[in-house]
Amino acid sequence: MDNLQAIMPMLIVTLAAAATMLAESFRLKDERMPLGGLGLIGLVGAAAASILLWNRNTTSFGVVQSDNFALFINFVLVAVGILTILLSSQVIDREELPAGEYYSLVLFSIAGMMLMAAATDLLLIFLALEVMSLAVYVLTGIRRTDAAGTEAAFKYFLLGAFSSAFFLYGVAFTYAIVHSTRLEAVALAVAGRSDVSGPLTWLAVGLLLVGFAFKVSAVPFHMWTPDAYEGAPTVVTGFMSTGVKAAAFAAFVRVFLSSFEPLRGEWVTVLSWIAVATMVVGTVVGVAQSNVKRMLAYSSIAHAGYLLVGIIAGNASGKSAILFYLLAYALTNVGAFGVTALLATRERPRGDLADFAGLWHSRPVMAALMTIFLLSLGGFPPTAGFVAKWYVFGAAVQEQLYGLAIIGVLTSVVSVFYYLRIVVLMYMTDSRAEYEPPRLTATGLATLGVAAATVFYLGVLPARVIELATRSIDTIF
Amino acid sequence: MTPITPAHYLVLSAALFSIGLIGVLVRRNLIVIFMSIELMLNAVNINLVAFSQQWQHVVGQVFALFVVAVAAAEAAIGLGIILAFYRNKETVNVDEITLMRW
Amino acid sequence: MSSLLSLVIFLPLIGAVALLFISNRDGERDGLIRQVALAASVVTFGATLALWRGFDPMGPEFQFVERRPWIPIYGIDYYIGIDGISLLLIVLTGFLTPLALLSSWGSIKKKIKEFSIFMLLLEAAMLGVFAALDLFLFYIFWDAMLIPMYFLIGIWGYDRRIYAAIKFILYTMAGSVLMLIAILGLAFVHSSATGNYTFDLLKLYELKLAPTTQMWFFLAFTLAFAIKVPLFPFHTWLPDAHVEAPTAGSVILAGVLLKMGTYGLVRFSFPLFPEAAMVFAPWLAGLAVIGIIYGALVAMVQPDMKKLVAYSSVSHLGFVVLGICAVNVQGVSGAVYQMLNHGVSTGALFMICGMLSDRRHTRLISEFGGLKSVVPKLTAAFMLITLSSIALPGLNGFVGEFLILLGAYRWDWRFATLAASGVILSAVYMLWMFQRVNYGVVTNPKNEHLPDMSTREWWMLGPTLVMAVVMGVVPNLFLRPMEPAVERMVQRVQAGQTRTVRAEPGAAGTQAFGPADPEARAPRP
Repeated sequence: MDNLQAIMPMLIVTLAAAATMLAESFRLKDERMPLGGLGLIGLVGAAAASILLWNRNTTSFGVVQSDNFALFINFVLVAVGILTILLSSQVIDREELPAGEYYSLVLFSIAGMMLMAAATDLLLIFLALEVMSLAVYVLTGIRRTDAAGTEAAFKYFLLGAFSSAFFLYGVAFTYAIVHSTRLEAVALAVAGRSDVSGPLTWLAVGLLLVGFAFKVSAVPFHMWTPDAYEGAPTVVTGFMSTGVKAAAFAAFVRVFLSSFEPLRGEWVTVLSWIAVATMVVGTVVGVAQSNVKRMLAYSSIAHAGYLLVGIIAGNASGKSAILFYLLAYALTNVGAFGVTALLATRERPRGDLADFAGLWHSRPVMAALMTIFLLSLGGFPPTAGFVAKWYVFGAAVQEQLYGLAIIGVLTSVVSVFYYLRIVVLMYMTDSRAEYEPPRLTATGLATLGVAAATVFYLGVLPARVIELATRSIDTIF
Repeated sequence: MTPITPAHYLVLSAALFSIGLIGVLVRRNLIVIFMSIELMLNAVNINLVAFSQQWQHVVGQVFALFVVAVAAAEAAIGLGIILAFYRNKETVNVDEITLMRW
Repeated sequence: MSSLLSLVIFLPLIGAVALLFISNRDGERDGLIRQVALAASVVTFGATLALWRGFDPMGPEFQFVERRPWIPIYGIDYYIGIDGISLLLIVLTGFLTPLALLSSWGSIKKKIKEFSIFMLLLEAAMLGVFAALDLFLFYIFWDAMLIPMYFLIGIWGYDRRIYAAIKFILYTMAGSVLMLIAILGLAFVHSSATGNYTFDLLKLYELKLAPTTQMWFFLAFTLAFAIKVPLFPFHTWLPDAHVEAPTAGSVILAGVLLKMGTYGLVRFSFPLFPEAAMVFAPWLAGLAVIGIIYGALVAMVQPDMKKLVAYSSVSHLGFVVLGICAVNVQGVSGAVYQMLNHGVSTGALFMICGMLSDRRHTRLISEFGGLKSVVPKLTAAFMLITLSSIALPGLNGFVGEFLILLGAYRWDWRFATLAASGVILSAVYMLWMFQRVNYGVVTNPKNEHLPDMSTREWWMLGPTLVMAVVMGVVPNLFLRPMEPAVERMVQRVQAGQTRTVRAEPGAAGTQAFGPADPEARAPRP
């Protein structure tokens, strides 16, 4: 049936999730089952489906459009998913987490994210948003015996539900103006009618903006991020910080840069202030952190700010820059959190900076991998992070947004300070005698190695991927 | 008697939304905060149904049903998380949460 | 097209990768690692000499050009090539790196493998900076050079190394990111004028920019370079970085890295934005002269030898900037020549400081005294280098400073006069330091039995002594390759004055320097 083609990737992932849950229920106590493997098969299948759907621009039920844009995001999500699943097995064993539930939640969340990127109807965006978020809330608190973890989970949950309500209210007002929730209808209505710029429109746009700003952790809706990232198991944090952002930015781009595009003048100023505040707060407050996960959370906030610059630029380069940035950021961040996760042990699950002291002497390979990821986060050539930042700021310069670009690069320099702090700890202090950091397993090494290699590849030979990103946006706008 | 116009529904839903909003910001008990969030979601439902009625359009009502389903799922998960938290900390009072600073 | 230039840039990188595979867990293969690293750097030096051999001063502007598309959508190519100026700087880099590695054999004892890898990575990045003709590629090499240097200072440096390393990297990066915005802005202006993006330097030379745009871009570029030079008042990172860096790091830092700032002025700031350059040149020259005098005065009162040499760098490089600001053939040739001189003599000075601190583990001048009777050969070499540094006629320093002062005098006699006082001041602080360290009686008993120069130290100091003399007696050998490049640069900047000021289409497609207006042909008096 033609109708199902566009949702093939999501269907495959959902089936894999259901299969995982089913397999878990058949598992005998203490029997070891490769549940992660099911997830990997599902994700690879989804990637294959996405490749087959490339350039076909299929639509399902009128509300899901698997255009190249959505498929690019699918690839990013599959990459994040595979990396997360591979890194999770060690954590699950160590912390005795419920494996079946864990993997199926990850997969459900990815299905929600894929749907969110491909949805062309506000109702579906809301549904996908909720599917993704609910799964992630549970994943945050999956370490049930950990007080900080459950605290993080409910903080995330409360603020998340709160912002979903705002988002929904915005959708309701949009429905009020446009009499439909389809994005094409919104675009037509907003472009066509002249009486549309009134208090209702302002409310609608504002509320939608609040909803999205929360999900991407933009200031001043970022308060949940440090706690949620710190309390969640570190692999989950890596998954959250990259996957949720990718899906949220995809929907953000679709809603604001295609439907509400004619109203740009209204929302661009507000968004600029938000972006500036995000970049500044993310960098400045990050400097003061002593816990690695919190620090990386603030770095996440800063990166959300850079991505917002891409939306503000709003031109073709800006959109493809966002896609490239999401990919580069996803690989880098999962890598950074992955190393942190593999360094933690039963006794020291917190991820303090002290875990990294003298890592070069005891675990040089891990130190090198972490350095690569940190340099990419800081935007040093020849890594993916540099090309991504260059791309986004180039788009801003194209639109004469020099102020934003300058703030962006200067905050980048400040952020280098706290990335380097970890490097200093790893290389320039002596290792702690009483603490022996865990060794890298073969899977861990392979996963992180591939991530690091891709970071270099994107940094040195980005032409292919940039071209892909550029062609991905042609289909929607 | 003045006819009930959609404006009335808008005002009602705005009022409910504000009550919920204030509830989230002001109340101390986790369960009550969560109730307030549910109140906000239902306020939006009223809004959707009102507009659906105004133009004899069914999408709004369908959307409202979806929201109800989602809210139910959210309630299940939310209460589960609150319960897990309670098992660890023996409190549902927001003031006593000091494990992680802002 | 020949790939010699790419080979030169990537040889150190290949050496670094080869070193990765030699396992050296507990330092058992230190000797092998050192030899491999040295071999890689010597082979690279040989390759740079081959470049010199194959370079034709009368030939096209840029030679050994290689161009491959890299990110075609944005007009970014892997585009490298050298002219006379970059050729000499590349040879300087190739020359100094083996010497720096040799100087590390005495002082670096732990983690030799990683040290050597970082040194080689640094060399590759430096060579890339000098060879890049595509602005994006240039920026990548420029930033890439920061990371190895940061590690070199931060891991193998002295007491306050972490503070110095972070100061170094943040200070330099802050300047260079603004340059990144200007680069992006340039590409965008070009694309709005001609319809296609490019980061190709030669095409961007053709671009005519509005005065305000020029001004901002010039400031952004020049800030980044001014921090690197370092130009007063952006010099505050330098004393810390130099003092805390290990000897090899200081040699490379002073010898090559600082030249990148002045190279950037010659290659990018002045020719890309001629009108803005002429407007700001007096200000830059003013800062340069202040740097010359300030650097000299502060150097005089330093108790720490390395810090003294660091401030002397500020002073010497002020001369270079002054020569560039003069924008005439003498001034700029003098500036480039002085870049080479400074590399040789200050590199040697740091090596000597390193040798003294290897023996006594202190850098304080007061700890020494009367060394002439203990280590006469070292003192003799020290004397030669000191004389070279203060520009004694017959040695290399004189040629450079003379040309600069000549060029500066032709432009504005006031700057020249003030700068000339710097020559006297430099003699004061250097000779006084030399006297305190070497002459008189041996006051400190610890100095009585210091070993004289070893074979290794001769190998490392010897070439610089030879160069100091050769460059002083046969300057034409070095002036000839750079002459056409300097002339072209001066012509570009001067011709830029009379061009009509607007961004106009149609300039794209001309590869070489286009014909200037006839009125601009008249050379400046």
